[in-house]
Amino acid sequence: MNQFTFPSRARVFLMVCMAIGLVCLGITYVTDDALHTRFWSNLLHNSVFFTGIAFLALFFLCANVIAFSGWYTVFKRLWEAYAQFLIVGLVLLLVIVAGLWMHAHHLYHWADADAVAADEILQHKSAFLNPLNYTLFTVIIVGLWIFFARKIRSISLEEENVDKFDFSVHKRKLRIWAAAFLPIAGFSSAAMVWLWVMSVDAHWYSTLFAWYATISWFVTMLCITVLTLIYLKGKGYFTEVTSDHFHDLGKYIFGFSVFWTYLWFSQYMLIWYGNVGEETIYFKQRLQDYPVLFYANLAINFVLPFFVLMRNDTKRKAGSLTVITIVLILGHWLDYFLMLKPGILHTAHEVLGHDAAHHAADHAHGAAEHAHHASHMVAGFTLPGFLEIGTFIGFAGLFAFFFLRQLTKAPLVSYRDPYIDESLHHHVV
Amino acid sequence: MSAVVSPIRDPLITGHKDYHQITEDICAPSERTPSVAWVVSFLIAVSVLAVGVFCILWTIWFGIGTWNLNRTIGWGWDITNFVWWIGIGHAGTLISAILLLFRQKWRTGVNRAAEAMTIFAVLCAALFPGIHVGRMWVVFFFFPYPNTRGPLWVNFNSPLLWDLFAISTYFTVSLLFWYTGLVPDFATLRDRATGLRKRFYNFLSFGWTGAAKHWQRFESLSLVLAGIATPLVLSVHTIVSFDFATSVIPGWHTTIFPPYFVAGAIFSGFAMVLTLMIITRKVLKLEDYITVEHIDSMNKVILLTGTIVGVAYLTELFIAWYSGYIYEQYAFLNRVKGVYWWAYVGMMSCNVLSPQIFWFRKFRRNIALTFFMSIFVNIGMWFERFVIIPTTLARDYLPSSWSYYVPTWVEIGIFIGTLGIFFTLYLIFTRVAPVVAIAEVKSILKTSGDQYAGEHAKHAHKPHSHEEESVAH
Repeated sequence: MNQFTFPSRARVFLMVCMAIGLVCLGITYVTDDALHTRFWSNLLHNSVFFTGIAFLALFFLCANVIAFSGWYTVFKRLWEAYAQFLIVGLVLLLVIVAGLWMHAHHLYHWADADAVAADEILQHKSAFLNPLNYTLFTVIIVGLWIFFARKIRSISLEEENVDKFDFSVHKRKLRIWAAAFLPIAGFSSAAMVWLWVMSVDAHWYSTLFAWYATISWFVTMLCITVLTLIYLKGKGYFTEVTSDHFHDLGKYIFGFSVFWTYLWFSQYMLIWYGNVGEETIYFKQRLQDYPVLFYANLAINFVLPFFVLMRNDTKRKAGSLTVITIVLILGHWLDYFLMLKPGILHTAHEVLGHDAAHHAADHAHGAAEHAHHASHMVAGFTLPGFLEIGTFIGFAGLFAFFFLRQLTKAPLVSYRDPYIDESLHHHVV
Repeated sequence: MSAVVSPIRDPLITGHKDYHQITEDICAPSERTPSVAWVVSFLIAVSVLAVGVFCILWTIWFGIGTWNLNRTIGWGWDITNFVWWIGIGHAGTLISAILLLFRQKWRTGVNRAAEAMTIFAVLCAALFPGIHVGRMWVVFFFFPYPNTRGPLWVNFNSPLLWDLFAISTYFTVSLLFWYTGLVPDFATLRDRATGLRKRFYNFLSFGWTGAAKHWQRFESLSLVLAGIATPLVLSVHTIVSFDFATSVIPGWHTTIFPPYFVAGAIFSGFAMVLTLMIITRKVLKLEDYITVEHIDSMNKVILLTGTIVGVAYLTELFIAWYSGYIYEQYAFLNRVKGVYWWAYVGMMSCNVLSPQIFWFRKFRRNIALTFFMSIFVNIGMWFERFVIIPTTLARDYLPSSWSYYVPTWVEIGIFIGTLGIFFTLYLIFTRVAPVVAIAEVKSILKTSGDQYAGEHAKHAHKPHSHEEESVAH
């Protein structure tokens, strides 16, 4: 079975997931504070998370093409399909952009004219942190990524029609376009992480942050790859994908989980050791008000994969892989949660605090007051609530629905890729 | 390692070699009398080494005052050279460990020499902390042993101490890795030798007989060592970067330092491997084993790591502006436009701009150009450390203490001397051990020899579909 047909049961299931997401977003909006902080932050969180995953699929695909890698060829259509989600990602982010211009949300401290007027640091940064820049960077850079996602996909499909020993399409087209994308991706992704994620803590900065956030996306992307392959194999597709392919994906997940930890540690340790107030505030806030997430982040994203995937057999079995990849996807989703929510909540407090008289009765303001006490929980911020999980299910459903539809459009295994024989005979041990 | 090789791949061993010829070709350099070129090079290297020894003795005799370090600039050429050498020492373990885990076949052509180079570079680096503390005779104070100097000695909170552990661990594991690979090859040399030479290699090869059990243990040990060495590739330069980044000096205290130092280290290490390999393959006539394909691959690593370093430089510049912290901003302005602007220009042009020519396959496969570029990259990486160290220190918070620093002849002499040490050791290595790993190259012959892979392969381009698996396993 080299042609995927989207089972109608899966279709219905994913639509139900999306419906759950929509309902949760709706409930969040209605029950939210005056600024709809929880609603908007959930939207930003999931949009950025899934857009980044799609971007990393494209990036890793191109990197493999350039590295003359062979083993992944058999399932490369998956990454091509994930990458197409960038289009949806752009639409989702444009909603955030529209909200920015319409002052519908207060996700970003730097977007409040009042705050900027009273804040010297924000004034300095306004040359970079302003709505126009945010819009242009998002549209141009994600637009560029989409262009490459489509280009790489179309060249890859073009290969379907060539003779098996005609490598011209691969050599003259695929490699060149893939090579062109890598530096563009390398330079532009950092700017997007700064704008989308790091700037929610508008005063804070860290040079390592962009790479840290990117690796978080990457591990998630690999986990989704494993889960998709397990699902599709279960449906009788991808019989060519063997436990050796899973073994290598498992090694990547293991290696990059350790690398993620390395970046986490480098950032944390240097800031802790330097003990400069402007920098330590970031971790102080998280350690004080978000201790559960702070430690869970490390436990889930480092300790678990490190011990579970250290063995050979756990990287080769569907059961252990399913468990660890689901846990890791949630873990990195929590990592983004922890990157975004504290800064956004803080901004909301500031805005609400400015016109306290107005919102004195508002319960969110009450929450804002209480959040200054370390032990107090703010639902949807200190910990994700059911609404956040529901929203995540919705976005995950959207992502899956979209890429499964993409998979129906081309043969699953590309037998004309010059490296396909290596991939079909891939042996690790 | 998959036995099936895609027909799109180019061969990694040329000249239609068979197993015996591989043994002959690679053993030959250590079995014949040294060539004139080798003797001349060796004499030059030893003379340069002697200059270094003289300058080191001068430093020890007269003290650190013979260097031009001053109250403001307390770290000059010493630490610059130390970091430079440590960086160079990264390629070997990356090639042998990480590329082994990634099953990169082209590593077999260069891993032996790269590992040797790593060990010699780490030795050169380790020399500097020994000298620059000023009192070499009490250098054992570095080590944590029960002493009467109080609880602060040694200071476990200091990244300088972590450095000591990191480097000594790295050196040990690299040495073990290198030697493990050498054992079967020493046995090959032993089997071909007679007399004293035979006894010498007999001792070195630990009684290797090539039994299946030996090979099985050899494979397991290689994999275990690769697993241990992989985090070490990252840890060493990470900890070197901590020496700077844990401080609160503007320009040093930045979180990107660890991964960016590692990328820079691999960058300079590969450049040095290329410098050595291009000469070695020519002089020892090993062009069939260290092919243009190998050079192409290494140039790609240079391009990749050079560009990562470029992203890091620009990130630093941008975040310095973005931070709104005036001292941080000034530190970078000072690098670009300050008294040492030329070092910054050297760093940017050698490390980021010039490697971009390697986007083109034609340039990646041009041996003369690659040789030139490999030296250029190492000059650039030396400048990078110079930019980070003296440039930053020259302008501190107090304008009254601003300073300028030029090295004395002693400092320059020590640096040149380390080059002498490095090349002396490398030249001895080419005489004593097979420069290319014989056993490992043989392991890829049937998949990557030019009679089996690439355009001129016997069975290439024979059309077959994926259903009929005609490719031999």
